[in-house]
Amino acid sequence: MTVYRVEGLRIAAGGRAIVDGVGFDIGAGECVALVGASGSGKSQSCLAPFGLSPLRAGGSARLMGDELIGAPEAMLRRARGRRVGFVFQQPLTALTPHLKVGRQLHEAWRQAGAPRPSRADLAALLERVGLDRADERLDQYPHRLSGGQRQRVMIAAAIAHPPALLVADEPTTALDAELRHAVLEMLSGLRADGLALLLVSHDLPAVARHADRLVVLEEGRVAEAGEAAALFAHPQAATTAALIAASPRLADPPPALPPPGPPLLAAEGVTVSFPRPGWRRARIVAVSDASLHVAAGEGLAIVGGSGSGKSTLARAIARLGPVDAGRVTWEGLPLPDRAKMRPAHRRLIQPVFQDPVASLDPQWRVVDIIAEPLRHLHPHLSAGERHARVTAALDEVELDDAFADRRPATLSGGQAQRVAIARALVTGPRLLLLDEATSALDVLVAGRIVALIARLQQTRGLALLFVTHDLAVARRLCHRIAVLEAGRIVEEGPIKAVIAAPAHPATRRMVAASD
Amino acid sequence: MIALLLRRLLTAIPTLAAVVILSFVLMRLAPGGPFDGERALDPATRAALTHAYGLDLPLWHQVLRYLARLAQGDFGPSLVYRDFTVTDLIASGLPVSLTLGGLALLLALAIGLVAGVAAATRAGGRADRGLMIALTLLTALPTFVTGPLLVLLFALALGWLPVSGWGGGDPAHLLLPVVALALPAAGAIGKLVRAGLATALAQDHVRTARARGLSPVRVLLVHALRPALVPVASYLGPAAAGMLTGAVVIETVFALPGLGRHFVQGALNRDYPLVLGVVTLYAGLIVLFNLAADLLYGWLDPRMRG
Repeated sequence: MTVYRVEGLRIAAGGRAIVDGVGFDIGAGECVALVGASGSGKSQSCLAPFGLSPLRAGGSARLMGDELIGAPEAMLRRARGRRVGFVFQQPLTALTPHLKVGRQLHEAWRQAGAPRPSRADLAALLERVGLDRADERLDQYPHRLSGGQRQRVMIAAAIAHPPALLVADEPTTALDAELRHAVLEMLSGLRADGLALLLVSHDLPAVARHADRLVVLEEGRVAEAGEAAALFAHPQAATTAALIAASPRLADPPPALPPPGPPLLAAEGVTVSFPRPGWRRARIVAVSDASLHVAAGEGLAIVGGSGSGKSTLARAIARLGPVDAGRVTWEGLPLPDRAKMRPAHRRLIQPVFQDPVASLDPQWRVVDIIAEPLRHLHPHLSAGERHARVTAALDEVELDDAFADRRPATLSGGQAQRVAIARALVTGPRLLLLDEATSALDVLVAGRIVALIARLQQTRGLALLFVTHDLAVARRLCHRIAVLEAGRIVEEGPIKAVIAAPAHPATRRMVAASD
Repeated sequence: MIALLLRRLLTAIPTLAAVVILSFVLMRLAPGGPFDGERALDPATRAALTHAYGLDLPLWHQVLRYLARLAQGDFGPSLVYRDFTVTDLIASGLPVSLTLGGLALLLALAIGLVAGVAAATRAGGRADRGLMIALTLLTALPTFVTGPLLVLLFALALGWLPVSGWGGGDPAHLLLPVVALALPAAGAIGKLVRAGLATALAQDHVRTARARGLSPVRVLLVHALRPALVPVASYLGPAAAGMLTGAVVIETVFALPGLGRHFVQGALNRDYPLVLGVVTLYAGLIVLFNLAADLLYGWLDPRMRG
């Protein structure tokens, strides 16, 4: 039985078609995934027919036989309340902050006119989505829950009425690899009762395992559609192949990396703590007694789940963040504390951060952004030399000279991250600190940035300190890996060996979630 | 929660003491004194009075003496209205100011909320722009302009309402001062509600609520409005304290026997204890209302409970 059928869907924004001729259908208990890069129109395709987008849709979208396109808002509202459930990308902000979990579930449950649920009903609903201590959670506010828990609450609310169709718009994008896997499994499991599932994602390999059919979108059109496993194994369209390549799997053969050189950086017993907010005088230990080393030209991946302390450790080593205790040496000589770092030291280690747009000053031109570290760290350079270096850095990150006069707001995420990389490269560092440098980018863009970094690694012999939660991406760039859990390094070694035979449970979970 | 309350009340004590000491000293720095009248008193009487009220003691001694009395709840005698204590004067003026301020506050909240919600739900539209201009105008017009204008129109031209006076708390006498006092606050509240609600309506959790198929009214009232009121709460703390302890201008324009008038008269007459009494009361209310606002934040947005 077909639950949802879309034919010739068109959505226009500002006179330009952003979705054109998209069609698919989903039967009861089936899962269809809309896959594409950002801007391919996949989110609009699933939200606009239900009136959840300011944009108007044309064509046809029938939910259990009823046409949604052109239907009055009251009817769309009834459809949303009774027949469809929605799960959105941002679990941190998608739940109402001032209503307790139980209250939000209650509201979702009653929406379709169902009788008043008992507390046990609501707790059972939470257990169904795999949340532990369900009864206790009912009295909690959303901000007390972790991202993964909130996403489960949102799913529980979406299936409360219960709906015939569940629309999940990038439901796992904001979660780390382990949670991503668990949530997809759980969503897929809900289909056992006949729930139809419409998944929207950019992570083709991940959804391919759960979906029956894939619809690959490119610039608002269907590039390719078909049975999931077949399409994943034998992609026909270039976009499909690019999407698969952009989300590397551990099952792929490992890439060849340049051999590492002599020891470069060593950290011993690094400990970082922060004062606990509030009146009590306590400290939260973010990193405790961590030791690691990096050789010239070597990539070291620092991996761990959200909140494991991986960024704090990397920043402490690069002397960008606070340190309580521990020693860091550079080619055998001690690296001074943050306040005493001299230009000669700063030149050696340069960072690239997660959010490229937020890490560039919006008032500055690209050329000034890239030149700034030169002014401070190579003050003897003449204006001409400085300009030459900026141009060379732009060229190295594959941006042409025309970008020099632009401001960050006019750049795409990928272009902005290239500028951030150019800014890091311009001082001639020997080690690059990449703090989740690809996590905030669209999947295809992230793939190209990783390729760029891999090339820099080859040409410049750059050492990398790569903070990430993605094992597969880490393996593309790094020789060795350090796994963090709750502020401690629980496992460390050559990345191939660690992934092949993980010793610590945290590593094992991460490896299991990534393949 | 109880611990928070206690802690906040304890930290209020040094704040209040600082306010009192500072006002005390500032007032003494101003030229003139309580016994400087049109006709000069003879030196002997003057010296006797000065001594009787302890004004001949060193300043630090006077401050300490005042603080010690204040701690026992004694505001001291009025230096000008010699048959009354400051407590008497406050007790006569406060009910008038509380009635006026309380009603004005309620009216301002009602107008502000309705106008703010109406504007935010039509964000960007013509009604929104019209409302915002009107609200900005309300905030911008001082009460000494709106008060007389209201009197001109409703009391003098139309003759519907009395021009001024308290009339023993008669509603007809109250109407114009309450409206005049409420309008600027209504404008400020309306603008804050509009801004807060427009932000809240654009947030992810509102989309989730809409996706749940809830009616627009329910989405607005249950999911969007509460977080939108946080800025209103922070405005209301000091604003409410100010309105309740005597709107000096309104009480003067409408000749109302409230606290504000005592305050102005006290300052002009150099009636030190009277001014200090009103200032202390006002500072205490500010502290209380700010505390109330902080507690309100926690209810409006549980994330702020920390």
